[in-house]
Amino acid sequence: MSPVVNVHGVTKRYGDVAALDNVSFSLEENSIHGLLGRNGAGKTTLMQILTGQNFATSGEVEVFGGHPFENESVLARICFIKESQRYPDPLKVRHVLQAARLLYPGWDQEFAETLVRDFDLPLGRTVKKLSRGMHSAVGVIIGLASRAPLTFFDEPYLGLDAVARQLFYDRLLADYAEHPRTIVLSTHLIDEVSDLIENVLVIDRGRILIDEPAEDLRSGAVTVAGPAPAVAQFTAGHNALHREQLAGRARVTVRGAFGNGERDHARALGLDLEPVSLQQLVVRTTTERTATATKETSR
Amino acid sequence: MNRIAAATRLHLISWHGLVLWPWGILLSSFLINVVIFAAIGDQGQGQNTPGGLVSIYIVVFVAFVQLVTQGFPFALGLSVTRRSFYLGTALLALGQAVLFGFGLYLFKLAEDATDGWGLSLRFFGIPFLTQDNGILQILVFTVPFVLAGFAGMVGGVIFQRWGTNGVYTLMLTSIIGTGGLAALITWQQQWMELGNWFADQPTLTLIVGWPILIAAALAGSGYAAIRRATA
Repeated sequence: MSPVVNVHGVTKRYGDVAALDNVSFSLEENSIHGLLGRNGAGKTTLMQILTGQNFATSGEVEVFGGHPFENESVLARICFIKESQRYPDPLKVRHVLQAARLLYPGWDQEFAETLVRDFDLPLGRTVKKLSRGMHSAVGVIIGLASRAPLTFFDEPYLGLDAVARQLFYDRLLADYAEHPRTIVLSTHLIDEVSDLIENVLVIDRGRILIDEPAEDLRSGAVTVAGPAPAVAQFTAGHNALHREQLAGRARVTVRGAFGNGERDHARALGLDLEPVSLQQLVVRTTTERTATATKETSR
Repeated sequence: MNRIAAATRLHLISWHGLVLWPWGILLSSFLINVVIFAAIGDQGQGQNTPGGLVSIYIVVFVAFVQLVTQGFPFALGLSVTRRSFYLGTALLALGQAVLFGFGLYLFKLAEDATDGWGLSLRFFGIPFLTQDNGILQILVFTVPFVLAGFAGMVGGVIFQRWGTNGVYTLMLTSIIGTGGLAALITWQQQWMELGNWFADQPTLTLIVGWPILIAAALAGSGYAAIRRATA
C-alpha cells in the first residue's frame, strides 16, 4: 500500500490563531481513516486544504502525487462531503444528483437511486426546503455514489437519526468492500464509527496527537482499576492518560501493551484490566493535553 | 475542456430561471407598453421609443451575480477547479448573449414588419441602435449582454472573495472615481467637448467596440480574483 496523501509541516494561520500547527502525516490508499477531534480542532480546515478549497500558510501537501490546488486531474478523483455545503436555491434533489453525475467520473447512477430509496429522499423537492437530516442524506448519497478514489466525509450526518446513520455505515462498508478506496471520516460520534475505521488520526488545537492503526490503539491502552496503592504500583512507569480516585480505589488509564504475564500479575494484585474504547481514548488524550496546556498558561 | 463544459452544464441543470426571468420581465414590460400606447392612441407623433429594452440586460446582470455567489460554492464542493468554473460560466455568458441577441433581433424584425405593432412603437428597434446589416444588428444586441454577464460575474467573484466589504469598497471607489472625474470635467469646463466626443462616436463603437474592451478587462480581473477565492 502506498500513501495517497502526504502532508508535511502544514501550518494555517488566521491572524494570530494557528488553525493548523506544523501538521505532518500520510494516508494509506484503500483504507478508512477516522479524523477525530473536538470542534474547532482544525479538521475541516485540514480537509479544505487537502481538497484545494483553502490554502496552507506554509508546508507541503501532496495528493495523488500532485498539489490539489486547481489541479484538475487530482480533484477529479476527490469527493469532499461537508456538513456546511451550500446548494444553489433553485436546485431540487434530482438536480443535485444530476450535477454530481456530471462531475464524478466514477458515479454509479443505479447505486445513487438505490440510496435515494433507502434514505427516502424526495427527488422533486428543492434542497433548500429539506429537513436538516435529509440535507445531510443528500451529501451522504453523493459521497457514496461518486465512488471517488479519495472521499472525505466531514460530519456527514448532522440531523440524521440513528437508523439513517446505521444505514450510512452499512452501505459505506458494503460498498467499500466491493470498491476499495480511501475514505476519510471526520466525526465526533467516535464510538459509532470505531468498528469502521482502520486508522485513527486525532487532531487537537491544530496538532496531530495520534496517528495509529485503530487496532494498535485499542490494544495499546488499558484502564487499571482496584485498590489505590496496588494501582499506583502496577501503573508506575506507564504513561497515564487519566486518573480517578474515590475512597481508596483508583482507576487509571495508561498507554502501553500488556502481555499475559502482566495480566496475571495484575490479577494477583487484585486489579481489573478493562479495555478502553476509542472514544474514551480520544477524550482522555485530548483532555490530558488541554489540562497540561491550561497549567502551562496559568504558570 | 471537458470540465469547463461540465461547469457550463452545471448552470444549465436548472436553465428555466436563466430564460424565463429575463424574457418574462422584458415581455411584460413590452406588453404594458403596447397596452398604454394603444390606450392613448398616440400614433401620429412619429416614433414611440420607451426604454424597456434595458430591463433584460439588468436581469442578465443580476442572474450572473447569482450564478457565481450560489454556483461557486456548489461547484467547488463538487471538485471543480476555480478556473473551470470561471471559464464555464464565461462560456455560458457568451452563448446566452448570442442567443438572446438573436432573439431580440427576431423581435425587431417582427416590429419592423408590423410598423411597430401597429402603434409606431419602437420597443426593440430603438432608432439609435438600428443597423441596416442583420449581422451588425445582432452584434449590437449581443455585445451589451456579454458586458452585463461579465459584469455580473465579476460582482459575484468580488463578493465571493472579499465578502460584503469588498462589494461596498467597489461601490465606494466607483463613486469617488466617477465623482472625481465629473468634478474634474466641470472644473475644466469640458462637458461640451465630452458630449461632442460621444456624439462623434459611431453607434457601433459606442455599443460594440467599447463594451467589448470593458468586458474583456472585466473578464481578466474576475479571473485573477477568483483564483484565490474560497467557498
